[in-house]
Amino acid sequence: MKKSTLKRSFAVMLAAGVLAAGCSRTDSTTTGSPTGTGATGASTPSGGTASGPFIDPAADCKDYKGTAGITGDTIKIGTIRPASGPYAIYDQVTAGMEAYFKAKNAAGGIKAGDGKSYKVELIKGDDGYDPGKTLAEAKKLVEQEGVFALAGVIGTEGNLAIRQYMNDNCIPNVSLATGSPEWGAADKYPWYMSALASYATEAHAWAELIKKEKPEAKVALLYQDDDFGKSYQSAFKKAIEGSKITVVKEQSFNPLSGGTTEAAVTSLSQSGADTFIVGIGGTPCPQTLKFMPDTWKPMTFISITCQSKIALSLAGGKDLGVYSAQVTYDASDPADKDNPKVKAFVTEGAAGGLSQTQIEGGISSAGWGFAALFAKSLEDSKTVDRAGITNTLFSLKNTTFGLLREGVTVNTNGATDPWPVEGFRMVQRTADGWKEIVPVTNYEGQSNSFAAKG
Amino acid sequence: MSMSPAARKWGRVAAWVITFAVICALPLMLPAFRVDQIAIWMTLAMAACGLNLLTGYNGQISVGHGALYGAGAYATAIFMVKVGWPMFPAALIAVVISFLLGIAIGLPALRIKGLYLALVTLAVAVLFPLVIEQFSSITGGGAGLTITTPQVNRRGAVVDQKIEFGDMAGLKGDQVRYFLVLAIAVVCFVLARNLVKSRVGRSLVAIRDNETAASVSGVPVSLVKILTFGVSSAMAGLGGAMYALVNGQVNLTSFTIALSISLLVAVVVGGASSIIGPAIGAVLLGAFNDFVTLPEGLAGAKPVVLGAILILLMFFAPGGLVGLYKTTMAKRAGRQARGDGGEPAVPSAFAAEQLAP
Repeated sequence: MKKSTLKRSFAVMLAAGVLAAGCSRTDSTTTGSPTGTGATGASTPSGGTASGPFIDPAADCKDYKGTAGITGDTIKIGTIRPASGPYAIYDQVTAGMEAYFKAKNAAGGIKAGDGKSYKVELIKGDDGYDPGKTLAEAKKLVEQEGVFALAGVIGTEGNLAIRQYMNDNCIPNVSLATGSPEWGAADKYPWYMSALASYATEAHAWAELIKKEKPEAKVALLYQDDDFGKSYQSAFKKAIEGSKITVVKEQSFNPLSGGTTEAAVTSLSQSGADTFIVGIGGTPCPQTLKFMPDTWKPMTFISITCQSKIALSLAGGKDLGVYSAQVTYDASDPADKDNPKVKAFVTEGAAGGLSQTQIEGGISSAGWGFAALFAKSLEDSKTVDRAGITNTLFSLKNTTFGLLREGVTVNTNGATDPWPVEGFRMVQRTADGWKEIVPVTNYEGQSNSFAAKG
Repeated sequence: MSMSPAARKWGRVAAWVITFAVICALPLMLPAFRVDQIAIWMTLAMAACGLNLLTGYNGQISVGHGALYGAGAYATAIFMVKVGWPMFPAALIAVVISFLLGIAIGLPALRIKGLYLALVTLAVAVLFPLVIEQFSSITGGGAGLTITTPQVNRRGAVVDQKIEFGDMAGLKGDQVRYFLVLAIAVVCFVLARNLVKSRVGRSLVAIRDNETAASVSGVPVSLVKILTFGVSSAMAGLGGAMYALVNGQVNLTSFTIALSISLLVAVVVGGASSIIGPAIGAVLLGAFNDFVTLPEGLAGAKPVVLGAILILLMFFAPGGLVGLYKTTMAKRAGRQARGDGGEPAVPSAFAAEQLAP
């Protein structure tokens, strides 16, 4: 009796399923397309090079929605960052972006190349620095919030996790808060652009300095066991090829393990190395410096992602004397305080809601720069749509943005030069700030060649 | 207001039809990413159903089913991306691999029972992401694997093109994925139900309740236990394979110990030892994770909220939601019987117990 009931209801269910499958959804559900079927008309991007625009949506995109996310004079963009968990410190980056847009919106918006002034609304997603969650967050921002683009998304692996999705849907993901050499593949993924220098370029600059100061250096290499750390590891090894510099010992650190770098540092300190490369990010980076025994005084290099005042305050004083590549002005450095860019950042940042600690911390200022690069893409675009702003970013000429130092040139040219930031000066940490060791050097158009392939 | 058996029967049919109509209507109304999210809940429901066979019916606790789900997902992705197989053969081989893995994990279970078995499977759950990371040349390491195939684009660059279900029969890609997963899930649950109702199912329960007695009655205890582990793992692997196809990419952080625990929670919340229970549990858990958003500052408190709900639920419905439903129905039948002074309309053992003086 009961069995036949179940069988019958199952049959009914199947019938209902077939019926339901027959009708198809009215397509108002894919949010964020005010123009509906409007792939037409948007295929006239600006900012092209002599050989035509870098991105041509008519040829590159299946279902192009160029102006999705723009309503009147408001552009809605999204970002994804860890607001919770052990990497929540990076939320400060997003705070910097928010402050930038808040300050600009209050001042009437960003004047774009099409003559209109746009206000930017930033919608935040939280993936907790877990690349397994980034795709869901990106889909939510794109399909539910209907954002125009993503900007300042944090984390190499999170950005890798959404690259296919963004590329397939022709949605810009720019001002990436990571410098993985992966972002150099603009011929494959033209909707991606980093706002940092390539980690490979950074490693190359370290090697240049070591070649000059210690031509026969013995290097101890510590790297994070992921794309971020391995970028430094492989690019550094490539840069010292043919020199007398040798890597005497390597240790990797797995950030997933939940442990610290202490054992690795101790082992490296006994390797007889006179140079120490710290390819580590997040709080484990300053902790690594802290773990260095007092008896070991190598020439130490830290990542650009580790040189903020907030991070280095965790090094227990062991940050003194370390070397790093520096791209931007540092609002906490007395030597930079009177620079007009820094002064503007201090006033506008405060207006945008940043606290004094955030302004001097060195993390929010990075976010400020990421927002400024996005703003730049609007300012220089005659056509404000997805392809338009991306083409603008890929054809920047001798410009600057955010807190970039004087002398750091910003030039891009499609897939041949996809890196806006390729220059920095080498600095050494002192008690009151940074001391310049090598003045600003630009590696214009060379970033991809520094990356080790494979 | 007592209902005749016929009315009750038709009421039940109506309930099923409405449920199924809603399930079928959802993908036609929700945005694509929501449809994919719900499809992913269904893949979790398959894994939870497998876990329920093992834990609920056979009494073997596994805290490692997240790893088996992950193994199914990674096997599918690896066979598609690295070996170049089409989706369905890749998914099939993933199920076979999960089955074999389950057998391998099940072997020690012949000697180890209860909490100790839980510890062994816990080790599997903890090791899985580390193993995936270790073999990053195949698995993509921390960056994960996106299911793609190389194609040349107009710039002459070789670009990875996503492999996924395209539009089919007037349905969008996400809807095709949804209905495919739904169909497979329904088949899975019907098979599980038939298995449980069969002789094998009775031997599963017999082993759970008293292994010695089962053995004496002629149940091949070792064989049944190992095969249960295998079948249960294969279902988890199938869920994982479907997840990989729906999500289009796999990432090791999706298959941590937290997933294993979620699957156990789904089984317990829905109601262990009932076929539909784990599905209800998985869907509710999925809905909680994906649809409930706490304000920014409180986002970290989400697990606490979930924990509090679980405690309350276990307090008021120790048998899970299905258990709660059964108890309520039995009580109502009992009340009716007393009120009418007649026989209870549904004579169940439980109702009889309630009626006993």
